Order: sequence, then structure tokens, then C-alpha cells
Amino acid sequence: MTMRRPLAKWLVILGVLHAIVVCAGFFAPYDPIEQDRKNPYLPPMPLHLLDAQGHLHLRPFAYALKLREGTFDQYEQDTSQSVPMKFFRSGAGYRLLGFLPSRIHLFGSEDARICLLGTDAYGRDQFSRLLYGGQISLLAGLLGAGCTLSIGLCVGAAAGYFGGWRDDALMRVAELFLALPWLYLLFALRAFLPLSVSPLKAFFLIVAVIGAVGWARPARLVRGVVLSAKERDFVRAARGFGATDSYLLRRHILPETSSVLLTQAAILIPQYVLAEMTLSFLGLGVPEPAPSWGNLLSNLQQYSVLVSYWWMYLPALAMVPFFLGYLGLASSLQERLEPYKIERRSPGSLA
Amino acid sequence: MQPLLRVEKLVKCYERQNVFGSREKLLALDGVSFAVAQETTLAVVGESGSGKSTLGFCISCLEIPTSGSIWFEGRDIVVLAESERRKLRPQIQLIFQDPSNSLNPRWSVEEILLEPLNLKGKLKREETKQRAVALMTQVGLSSDMFQRSPAQLSGGQRQRLAIARALALEPRVLILDEALSALDCSVQAQIANLLIELQRTLGMTYLFITHDLAMAAHLADEIAVMNRGRVVEQGPAQNILRHPKEEITRHLLAAIPSLDNAERPPLES
Repeated sequence: MTMRRPLAKWLVILGVLHAIVVCAGFFAPYDPIEQDRKNPYLPPMPLHLLDAQGHLHLRPFAYALKLREGTFDQYEQDTSQSVPMKFFRSGAGYRLLGFLPSRIHLFGSEDARICLLGTDAYGRDQFSRLLYGGQISLLAGLLGAGCTLSIGLCVGAAAGYFGGWRDDALMRVAELFLALPWLYLLFALRAFLPLSVSPLKAFFLIVAVIGAVGWARPARLVRGVVLSAKERDFVRAARGFGATDSYLLRRHILPETSSVLLTQAAILIPQYVLAEMTLSFLGLGVPEPAPSWGNLLSNLQQYSVLVSYWWMYLPALAMVPFFLGYLGLASSLQERLEPYKIERRSPGSLA
Repeated sequence: MQPLLRVEKLVKCYERQNVFGSREKLLALDGVSFAVAQETTLAVVGESGSGKSTLGFCISCLEIPTSGSIWFEGRDIVVLAESERRKLRPQIQLIFQDPSNSLNPRWSVEEILLEPLNLKGKLKREETKQRAVALMTQVGLSSDMFQRSPAQLSGGQRQRLAIARALALEPRVLILDEALSALDCSVQAQIANLLIELQRTLGMTYLFITHDLAMAAHLADEIAVMNRGRVVEQGPAQNILRHPKEEITRHLLAAIPSLDNAERPPLES
């Protein structure tokens, strides 16, 4: 039972993180593409419970920002103007889970906007864009990993099970895919397409590219598992009962690959989120104004942003909990799913 | 009497590539011939690497021999098409040495036992269940183990389960590939007695592959001694035991542990 607890812990953590992103409409206070051109590059607004006079307020509030005297882009808190946080406030309309229309947001404010992570060049709320961007980035990661693993499973199982020339051919192709310089091929592919692509098309292009690139590694892993599984006596025994190839693959051999696949999924999803970020950062991803984690970071390509507005880096930190969650999940899955458990001993206990 | 199973000049040659890429041939079976009559036991005895397991795989249609023939019920099973071989395999069942490897560790005892019956199809759910319970009793296991996993059984219980599963398809021939070797002595004796009893009640024919000449003498009517892919000596069990002709047979005899070693010839190096 001790084996089960870390797995459940990671699943709960990831579940909560994903729920926040999936329900971005509710947790984000504003529309991610709504602009406020009068307030570009606002720094993050901290929330307070104690005001400047030392009085305690039960309702968290932020101070409105004003330009510092004599500057054009330096803001400071205007302690005379507090903006109280209002919970479950009606605001911009959105569709929860893509179909439930709603206007209720977790929090909002009455006059000035509360931008927890500041605003970008167009005055768009970075916090809202971060939550909405997560939907695109995480979905790209999940779909990409799904693509990669299905191709990898099919190719690896066919190569490992049937062996012979099929194995040789499939593995040579896999090696070719491992050797290709993918980023530059992607540039070439992008160059073929028209300058502006619709966000949906761009999204599926990214998923297809990410998914198609990575299948070689899981395919080789699956092949290895299948190679050793098909030599096991219970597979021979089942063949002895008159089992067909498809039965053996379905009932005995593919279940053996499940732990490799799940562990690979937990490793690949964050990698692919990162890949989406890289592509979007380079402008090959989902086009503006739709937010994605890579888009949010692409502002950093401008030197002025890079050196002046430190809060534009914050979206890069957003994926840290996701990464840690997925990697923790991967290692506890590996421990949990191995039916032939090796007991973990510290070197000292051998003595 | 017409033998149930007759093997003629069976050759199995494995090819492998060495480090330099040239092909090396490995003769696992080099012209093996013998015959087994119905309801008798032939023990194939040999050291490890003498080709006895390859022989078992070839006869149970899991490997295709390079040349030679295996006659079973008047048909040469070597030349059959794959679909025919698949239909034939249930008739000749193989019991493996290590039951922890021959039973899927992810499955429950019930799933394992029902697998051959489900593969055969035709039976209704209720009948299948009844048959499973009957098989368990036949090998001396209780049917309240159904929900356990093989890891929760003892070595002897696992081998009994493997035997029960092999019996599910009512095979004519049972090949026991070192089936007792992984078990401890008292359990070996229990399973050996179970095998003798099953032979009496079901009329089974056994091919008992082992390195243990003592157990072979206990179970078998005839013994064939193998060395380097060839049968070097063959005859009734008692003859082989009392008057071994070949060096290798004497070696195997000397390897039988005894409390009184003075009677046996010392092992020459």
C-alpha cells in the first residue's frame, strides 16, 4: 500500500493544476485578448491585507498604479486609490469547458483592473493569458504525446513481434527520424504554407509535427519490451493452446508495454509542452492574438522587454509545477506498474 | 503396436552471426530418431545444451525443424502449413521448467486456467467454469484459489496449475521440459506421483525431458540419452540404469546423489 500513495499524490496535484487550466474562463479575471492600450507593461500588482495606514482589511485589495513623476514607463503604487478584490464577480463572457456559457469569474474588481502578473505591450492581462495559454500548450503536449505513442506502439510492436526484414526496415526508418534536424525541416515546412494560418490550422500543424518527430524513441523502447515478452514461456504456452498472432499481441504482449507507454507519456507530455513553447517562441506556433505559453514568452525576443520588464519572464515559471508533477508521476508509475518488483534497498541494509 | 509419436532423423540448426558478421551454424539437433507408444513415458535425458529442450519445442510445433520428420497420428507435422500446425498444437502440450515464467504474472489463477478453454471457444460460460473446477480438483488444487495471482502460489502449486491448464485441452501427448527441476525434493515426488496417476486415469503419453536420471528411472518406461544433439543410447529404463554403455550415461548416473556413494563409480574429470 505504501507504493500507492506517491502515485495518488502526483495524480491529485496534476489533476488540480489541469483543472485550473481547463476552467481558465472561471479562474482568469479578464478576457485574454481584451486590450487596454493606455496601460502597457504594467508591473504585477501585489495583493494586500494591510493598508498604508496599518489597518487590517478582510478583503484583499491592490493599489492602483500610477506613472512615476518624470518617467514614461515606470509605475508605482498609488496608495490613495485601493482596488478591492471582488469574488465571484460577473465579467467578460466565456464558455466553461468549451460549451457552458457563463460570466462568473473567481475574482474581479470594480473600477481599475487587478493584473496579478502585470500586462503586456497591448495592456492585456498576463495572468488571464497565462491560464488560457495553458489550454493550448497543454493540449498540444497531450495530443502530441498521444500521436507519438500510438505511432511508436504500432511500429515498435510490429518490428519486435514479426522481426526479420520488417524489423530491419522499420528500425532503419526510426534511426533516420532520430537523425533528422527537425527544427530546420520545420522552418522549411512553415515556408511552404501561406504567411498567415488560422489558429486552429496552426495548432494542428504543431501537434502533427511534434507528434511525428518523436515516435522513434518510444518505438525502440516498445520493440525491446516486445522482443523480450514474446520469448516468455507464457506466450509460448498460449501459442501452444492454438492462439493466433493477434491474440498473443492483444492479450499477452501489448499489456507488457503498458508500463513503458505510461512512463513515456509522463516524460513526453512536458517535453512536448516545451516543444510547443519553443515553436511558438520562434513564431511558428499558434498566431497572435490567441495566447499560448510560447506566445507569451515571444515578447522576450525584443531586447527592451528582455531588460526592462522582468515580469514578462513569469510565464516561463508557470510550467515548473507541471513539469515536476509529470516527472514525479513518471517515476512513481515506473515503480508501481512493474509486476516483477525489485525491492529498493539502501546500500547499508545489505550488510 | 503403432507408436503414437515417431521422430525420424530430426535436425534443427540455428544460425547466428558472430562479431565479424560471418554466419555460424549451431546444430541443436543432429539426426534424432525415436518412437513413443501410447500411454507410455519416454524420458529424454541429457546435460544442459544437449538439445533436449529444442526437441520439446520442435515436437510441440513451437519451432520448425530444419529437416527430418515428426509423425503424429499418421501425419508428418513438420510439413504442415501454419494454420494446420495451430490446430494441432493443443494435442501436444508442453509444460515448462519454471512455472513463474509460464504463467502470466498479471493474470489471476482463474484467467490462466480458462485461457485454453476460451481459446478453444464453443463452451458456454457455465460449462467453462465447471470444467475449471474439475481441472483444479484433478491436480489437487482447491478452487478457492481462483482469484489469487500466480505470485501468491507456492512453486508446487504453480506447477500443478500449469499442468491443469495443459490438461484443459485434453492433449494426447504431454511434454515435460524439466518440469520438476525447479521444485524441491518433496514437491518433486508429489508432482511425479500426480503425473503417474494422470497417466493411469487419462491414458496420457509423456515425453519427460530431464537431466535427472533418477527421476527419469522413476517415471519412464524407456530412456533416451542425448549428447550434443544426438541420441547416444536408448532402451528400457532398467537396462540403461543397470548396464550403461556410454560414457555420458555413466556420468549422469554418477551425478545422482546417494547416501552411499561407494557403490557408484567415481566421477572422472
